[in-house]
Amino acid sequence: MIEACKSTVAVRNPGIRVLLARWVWVLGLSALLVMLPFVVRLNGKAHADWLQFLGRLHPALVHLPIGMLVLLPFLELAGTTRPGLREAAGFVLRIVLATGAITLAFGILLAYGGGVTGTTVTRHMWGGIALLIELLVCVSVRSLWISGEFPRAYPACLAITLLTLAWTAHQGGLLTHGNDYLTRYMPEPLKRFFPSSSSASDAAYVGSAYTRNIRPILDAKCVACHGANKEQGELRLDFYELLMKGGKDGAVITPQIPDRSLLLQRVTLSPSDRHFMPAEGRMPLTADEIAVLRAWILAGASPTATSIPGIAVAAGNTDLPLQPVGDYGDLMDEIRQMQRSEGAKLVAVSAKPSDGLILRTVDVASKFDDAQLARFQRFAPFIVEAELGRTALSDASFETLAKFTNLRALHLEGTAVTGRALAKLSPLSQLTYLNLSGTKVTSGSLGPLKNMPNLHHVYLFDTPAEPASADANSTPRSPQ
Amino acid sequence: MKQHPLCTDRENSVTPLDFPIPAALKHEWAAIETRRCFLGRTGKVLGWAALAGLFGQMGLRSYGEGADLKSPSAEGRTALGLPHFAPKAKRAIYLFMSGGPPQMDLFDYKPNLASQFNQDMPDSIRGNQQLTGMTSGQAHFPIAPSHWPFGQHGKTGTWVSELLPYTARVVDDLTIIKTTNTDAINHEPAIMLMNTGNMNAGKPCLGAWLAYGLGSMNDNLPTFIVLQTKTNPKENNQPVSSRLWSSGFLSSEYAGVGLRSGVDPVLYLSDPAGVDREVRRNMLDTVEQINRQTLAEMGDPETNARIAQYEMAFRMQSSVPELVDLSKEPQSTWDLYGLEAKQPGTFAYNCLLARRMAERGVRFTQIYKRGWDVHDNAVGVLPLICQETDRGAYALVTDLKRRGLLDDTLVIWGGEFGRTVYSQGGLTQDNYGRDHHPRCFTTWMAGGAVRPGITYGETDDYSYNVVKDPVHVRDFNATILHCLGIDHNKFTYKFQGLDQKLTSPVPAHVVQGLLA
Repeated sequence: MIEACKSTVAVRNPGIRVLLARWVWVLGLSALLVMLPFVVRLNGKAHADWLQFLGRLHPALVHLPIGMLVLLPFLELAGTTRPGLREAAGFVLRIVLATGAITLAFGILLAYGGGVTGTTVTRHMWGGIALLIELLVCVSVRSLWISGEFPRAYPACLAITLLTLAWTAHQGGLLTHGNDYLTRYMPEPLKRFFPSSSSASDAAYVGSAYTRNIRPILDAKCVACHGANKEQGELRLDFYELLMKGGKDGAVITPQIPDRSLLLQRVTLSPSDRHFMPAEGRMPLTADEIAVLRAWILAGASPTATSIPGIAVAAGNTDLPLQPVGDYGDLMDEIRQMQRSEGAKLVAVSAKPSDGLILRTVDVASKFDDAQLARFQRFAPFIVEAELGRTALSDASFETLAKFTNLRALHLEGTAVTGRALAKLSPLSQLTYLNLSGTKVTSGSLGPLKNMPNLHHVYLFDTPAEPASADANSTPRSPQ
Repeated sequence: MKQHPLCTDRENSVTPLDFPIPAALKHEWAAIETRRCFLGRTGKVLGWAALAGLFGQMGLRSYGEGADLKSPSAEGRTALGLPHFAPKAKRAIYLFMSGGPPQMDLFDYKPNLASQFNQDMPDSIRGNQQLTGMTSGQAHFPIAPSHWPFGQHGKTGTWVSELLPYTARVVDDLTIIKTTNTDAINHEPAIMLMNTGNMNAGKPCLGAWLAYGLGSMNDNLPTFIVLQTKTNPKENNQPVSSRLWSSGFLSSEYAGVGLRSGVDPVLYLSDPAGVDREVRRNMLDTVEQINRQTLAEMGDPETNARIAQYEMAFRMQSSVPELVDLSKEPQSTWDLYGLEAKQPGTFAYNCLLARRMAERGVRFTQIYKRGWDVHDNAVGVLPLICQETDRGAYALVTDLKRRGLLDDTLVIWGGEFGRTVYSQGGLTQDNYGRDHHPRCFTTWMAGGAVRPGITYGETDDYSYNVVKDPVHVRDFNATILHCLGIDHNKFTYKFQGLDQKLTSPVPAHVVQGLLA
């Protein structure tokens, strides 16, 4: 059987000149393909409708070569025992090549005609070109493989082609489904390998009118096409810097002059205008949103201003944002155990882990001493509130407490602390609340607290340090 | 012998084949009797039964997402995703003024009314408001200006009636809402709406939602405690019932635990002579085993609730005596609350207990005070009831504040509706009565989560309609949930095919203007 096979192969073995000619073809075509993006330049402009029409067939067509290409290794493997399949594989490979070429052409038409740009688009395009070149090489190498001259070359080529396929297809998937499509619902253990790609370049503007009022509008209405995935018109609106930088038509925001701001012009055109934004029938901006944008630009388009004249700033937490604590995912098992335990508990402040933990001792207060507290030291950076009222803690506990650097509230009411060690709390820069009611703290020992800028609420009820309150307990006149 | 057609004596019985019926029916009957038909049908029936069993399990699973057969824990709460965000308030104390306090005699100062004594309220003000049966027959709606003078108090210069001399001293700490409004005009629906977000019984109340959603902060006391104030027979006391602190469709362990207003807050709390803690423990362990068997057999989540309640009762045997033992309270407590607070069942005593429970990690305490229903003799009754409640409310806010508890406690004061500006029945120079009024009434909140020292909303000159910034009951409850870290729209429980929530399916809004 195998001998018969070999004899037919020998007959079809081409001469050296034919081989050379074939490689010249392959190289020439590859060069043309590589040139393609430089000839059909993706400049972010939309082109003729018929180009777009053909281009939009790309997603429909693309799965045909993909399916057949994935079929190929199976055919080749099965071909080792069934020569018919091996012959079929050659045929399939050629069809993959042909349909792949058409798909590539349509894909480039889609990007070119629709004026789509962006890093993912570019990657996807180069992936497609690389795939086609590799397919050309595969076709060429395969005949050598059949003739038995280079037994390793073809399988290697095919493997590389399949890997390229996976990567390119992934890029395409990101384009259609969005960046976090795969990772969003990925189980936690897997997620670790995919660091979140979100950049935090707007972090400095937390709480500003830009973050609270402007960003949400842009995120909802614009960023789908003017963001990290697609950079239509070379314009990105997902960060302040990029928003102000503008796109290929120049700046889109002219501070203080809304009417000269391209962004505002485009969203206020007649919906039938071909420059109207958002394009492609996406939800247009509401009158309110336009008013907010206009007011913001008029006020100078500042990223830090906290209010916009004439516009009610979107309601939100006016406080400083809570300082997020680090990731305690690794300690979760122990924390859960603490929550179940009969003793002191670690309780999450909210469903958001970065809001931190509360150390709650109410059920075991009388038994909770300095040694117990020391056992919680390993969780110290994640504890934002320590409810240690009426515990058996002493001044020695301040040594440990100094390590609770993210502490915002500290309850020590009804404990035996004397205030001698209060200076040890100075590393707790986040501390805003300190309850020393019912302790032996004296006013003389409170000095160190004055150097803690965030500490606004200090409670000294029922201590020697309690400030004398005016007529707190006198009786007001009764009603007639 | 002629036999009945259903007789099982196969040998001699009459079969349908003997009847004068169409041949087709006889054939069908004959076919039914074959073994092939029997086996075939049985097979199908078993298949359907199996399918029904599978669906049934799925149905059970979707019946109550929270009604897990395991008892709830801190982890269960995390699964609920609560609190949705870092809360400003960890606990709440609700001073419920049952009956409907008259807003224009307490907080809603209307100086213009003095000149309109006994004049009819303009019809345009009343509009299409439906009246209760008690005043709908009245030919006149004579305006009754408040009998008591108002004064400005605090740094904020807030107007408060002379009836509330103590509350007036803490106005700078209060967030007064003049425009609370409700849909109901009678006590029962209004008080249900206020507490459960629905006029009909069967829905969980605010406290039960909080107990379910946020869970307990301590192991030894209930998450949600209800205290009733002793009634004063001189006042018009409307009934309050346990539906107001019911858990509705939530597991009954989230229902409010009522402490009695007598000397013994919980009856039979102490073990009888000869039964020591160990015997009690053994008994409870055995009962729990039996309950666990029942749970395994029947799968009814209420069994879980029962087990949890037994355990709670056991722990309350030691925690409640400690809670109500006021002997260690310093003199400053009595100076603040008054000596009345030493008598169990008074409002001041309940307020003091509420503070002690806040210290001990009780999530939600609701104190009911009845008697605000002043249909007549307002001038005689209001001073009584204000005297009973004024100092306690003031002392509670002050006490929480000086002990550093007010920062993370939300205190709420309010009734189920307001009262009319016009007099019910006869208006005399020195007395009047006031009917129910749903369109506006005054409530207040205090605590770190709300903005202190403000008066929110405006009513018209007759304290009849809201002019600015209305706060519907739903918005009121949504705001309370917000203060405790809960997004009222996300906090739902699937029941009867609906994602049920405290604020009902009608849209509600957190009142941002109230928040700190």
